[in-house]
Amino acid sequence: MNRKSVDLLDPYEVAQLGSLELTAEGVVEGFLSGIHRSPYRGFSVEFAEHRPYQLGDELRYVDWRMLARSDRLFVKQYEEETNLRSMLLLDASASMDWNGAEDRLTKLEYGKRLVAALTLVLLSQRDATGFIGFDEEVRTLVPARSRQRHWWTMARGIAGLQPGGGTAAEPALRRVTDLLRRRGLVIFVSDLLLDRELTMLTLQFLRHRGHQVTVIHLMDPSEMELIGPPEARYEDPESGETVVARPRELRKAYAETVRGVVSTWRMRCQRGGIAYHHVTTDTPFGLVLRQVTARRARPA
Amino acid sequence: MISFLQPLALLGLAAAAIPPLLHLISRRVPPLITFPPVRYLSETERKQSRRLKLRHLLLLLLRTALIALIAFAASRPVARMPLGTAHEPSDIALVLDNSLSSGAVVDGRSVLDALVDRARSILDRVSNADRVWLTLADGIPHRLSIPEVRAVIDTVTPWPIRLDLTFAARVSSQAMEDGRVVFAREVIVISDMQVSAFGPSEGDNPTRVLVWRDAPTLETNRSLDSAWTEPTVWALEGQVVGAVGGSSTAPATVSLNIGTTNVARAFGAPGELVLLPGSVDPGWHTATVDLDPDELRADDRRYQALVATTPARVSTGAGMGMFVEDVVEALRVSGRIGDGPAVALSDRVVAGTTVLFPPDDPALVGAANRELASRGIGWRFGDIHGGEWQVTGDSTVASNVTVLRRRRLQGSEGDVLLSVSGEPWLVKDRDVVLVGSRFEPAWTNLPLTAGFAPFVDWLVNRVAARQVVMLTAPPGTPISLPPGAESLAGAGGVEIGAGAGVGIAPIEPGVYYLRVASGDTIGALQVNPDPRESHLDRAEARSVATSLGSNVEVLNDGGLDRELFSGARRADLTGLLIAVAILLALVELLVATIGGGRSSEG
Repeated sequence: MNRKSVDLLDPYEVAQLGSLELTAEGVVEGFLSGIHRSPYRGFSVEFAEHRPYQLGDELRYVDWRMLARSDRLFVKQYEEETNLRSMLLLDASASMDWNGAEDRLTKLEYGKRLVAALTLVLLSQRDATGFIGFDEEVRTLVPARSRQRHWWTMARGIAGLQPGGGTAAEPALRRVTDLLRRRGLVIFVSDLLLDRELTMLTLQFLRHRGHQVTVIHLMDPSEMELIGPPEARYEDPESGETVVARPRELRKAYAETVRGVVSTWRMRCQRGGIAYHHVTTDTPFGLVLRQVTARRARPA
Repeated sequence: MISFLQPLALLGLAAAAIPPLLHLISRRVPPLITFPPVRYLSETERKQSRRLKLRHLLLLLLRTALIALIAFAASRPVARMPLGTAHEPSDIALVLDNSLSSGAVVDGRSVLDALVDRARSILDRVSNADRVWLTLADGIPHRLSIPEVRAVIDTVTPWPIRLDLTFAARVSSQAMEDGRVVFAREVIVISDMQVSAFGPSEGDNPTRVLVWRDAPTLETNRSLDSAWTEPTVWALEGQVVGAVGGSSTAPATVSLNIGTTNVARAFGAPGELVLLPGSVDPGWHTATVDLDPDELRADDRRYQALVATTPARVSTGAGMGMFVEDVVEALRVSGRIGDGPAVALSDRVVAGTTVLFPPDDPALVGAANRELASRGIGWRFGDIHGGEWQVTGDSTVASNVTVLRRRRLQGSEGDVLLSVSGEPWLVKDRDVVLVGSRFEPAWTNLPLTAGFAPFVDWLVNRVAARQVVMLTAPPGTPISLPPGAESLAGAGGVEIGAGAGVGIAPIEPGVYYLRVASGDTIGALQVNPDPRESHLDRAEARSVATSLGSNVEVLNDGGLDRELFSGARRADLTGLLIAVAILLALVELLVATIGGGRSSEG
């Protein structure tokens, strides 16, 4: 196996190469060798600036040298001294356990591999990385750690995540609030077949708390357009809701609806300072990693 | 208002239920497909639901209407309306006047050809659902199929007979009245409309009669209206008179031919022209009287029978008296009595042809009657009566004859030739002629008159010995045959079965001889065209209406085309329905394509 080229292979073919851990390593190795530099350079800057002393400031932060030279009291301000803390959230609801073709990964399997690859990338920068798998509630929780051995804990947690029932992102996102006391990175991977307003509210709250938030909207290519027999009863695997439709009648309107949904998510995320990536499950993992890291590398 | 030529095809309307059924069936068992983004699909359908419902309804209506239209079109619907050429099932009687006058040639083409062409154009508009009667010049309607009618008119020729169009229209109308309910009945008269073809009105005809008036007509025609011999039986000599008629005033030539030999010729203005052939051989001769040919050939010849014979050989009985003996001698001297058939003038029944007078002695009357009975004669002498009576009868020789005494003639067989006071006076039964009075001045004034000799001549030569029957009749008309006539012998002696009593004159003009059982000829039937057929003047529309009734229309070409089947006129809607169906199919294709492509939804 040419591991350096794995990141750009078809996801289904990549999945056939081995276990989640193995294929994630191959993807990340190929990805990192392709960009030739750390995507997270400059994350940790210790000194930020001086500001005038105010009553209540701790005396240990007073810059005595500045006092000696200028006879004025200044205090030093510092950025976070520790590495980035990040939480990766993966939707494991029933809707994620679906693929539109036999030779395509389900959204959940695709998401697992994508999250695993992101985990490796983050751990390689010694960032503390945690994982939450959820459906209607949190199903898997791996606290953020930065040790290299933590990878195996993460990999087990990701691989062991089983598809559940309905989708409710709010509990999982609130849990992130509890877990990330300091500002960190939140990557939310879901098909977004959930309550958009409530989810956006929670994501904006995370953003309000200073977290960098990235939403990866996963869709199967078959969800982008309506195909099927002349007439069919389409069933939602989560709610059981059914709709009888004739694909040929609704194909065009359905595609417009989907484009509208994606556009709405993108617009709402942009307005909220949230990075948004629409990804279909036939997209090579390497391309997705580039999109996500490139977005994050831009100055805030 | 609407009927169907192929009503069984309406069963196809049931197929119009297929789209709704498919719609219902297909909606009940759609396959179930797991599809996570149902919320997007549901939202899409919610937005499109109104359009989709309208489209589904429109497609359903279009497809249902399409099938219904096709089924309707297959049933060949027709609507009664003043447009179009199709019509409801109707009865038509086509009266094709192929009478003698239709043989006239106008501009190099016979009138009949023009009539046949018009009849064909009418038949072109007759449908298989119509019933057709064809009436030719014989006036007998025949119910025929359309191919049969075409076959008949393709081979029809002018017949030498007269057609009474009034009669033909009436019987044709009656032939159609068989109780069947039809939309219309029409009698269509295709004729040269000669005025003589229309008889007196027989009341209103319940059936609509359309008379075509645009047949070509001969402007002038000259005809030989009649011909006759004088006397009927020639004593070797006589004359033939031919009557030339028609609209031409130019002099004409008439010739008399016996066989192929021309024996006389006359030239003169139209009217009666006398032909004197001179002496002819004793016996029967078939002669023709011919006029110069013109554009109507069939009325330029008349057939005439000539019979010539030698005077009878007469013997007188012992008690016949001096007046009879004297006149017989005078006739013998003048050649009116010769060596022909033997005739006995007697007051006693003798063998052979006898003219029997009442015996002068009353005691002999009984014996005479017994002799008559033994001979099978149906007449007897009755009581004697005195008085003064005038003789009446057909013979002109009996004029001014007064009877003073007579024995009543009792019986009924044979012919009554002369009468007095309404009672038989001179009768004939077989070969016996009975006279009610003796030819003596005490019985009748006849012996004292100048007519006595012609009377006796007539009695022996015409009545007793050679009475012949000369019948004249147009072709195909009823004739009354004389007693004893068993058959008609045509040209070459070919017998035409006639039977006794009333018969029908043969269609073919000519001379036909009346034969008795023994084979002897007792007379002749001269069959010649009705002279009215030679009068080609066209009838006025008013006179036609008067003759055929108020329900008649006299029409030109265009008028006939317009009025034909007008009572059952209808428009064939098939083409219109097919056009609408094609239009609907295109609309359906458009709606289905624009609305999401062709699919199998109902």
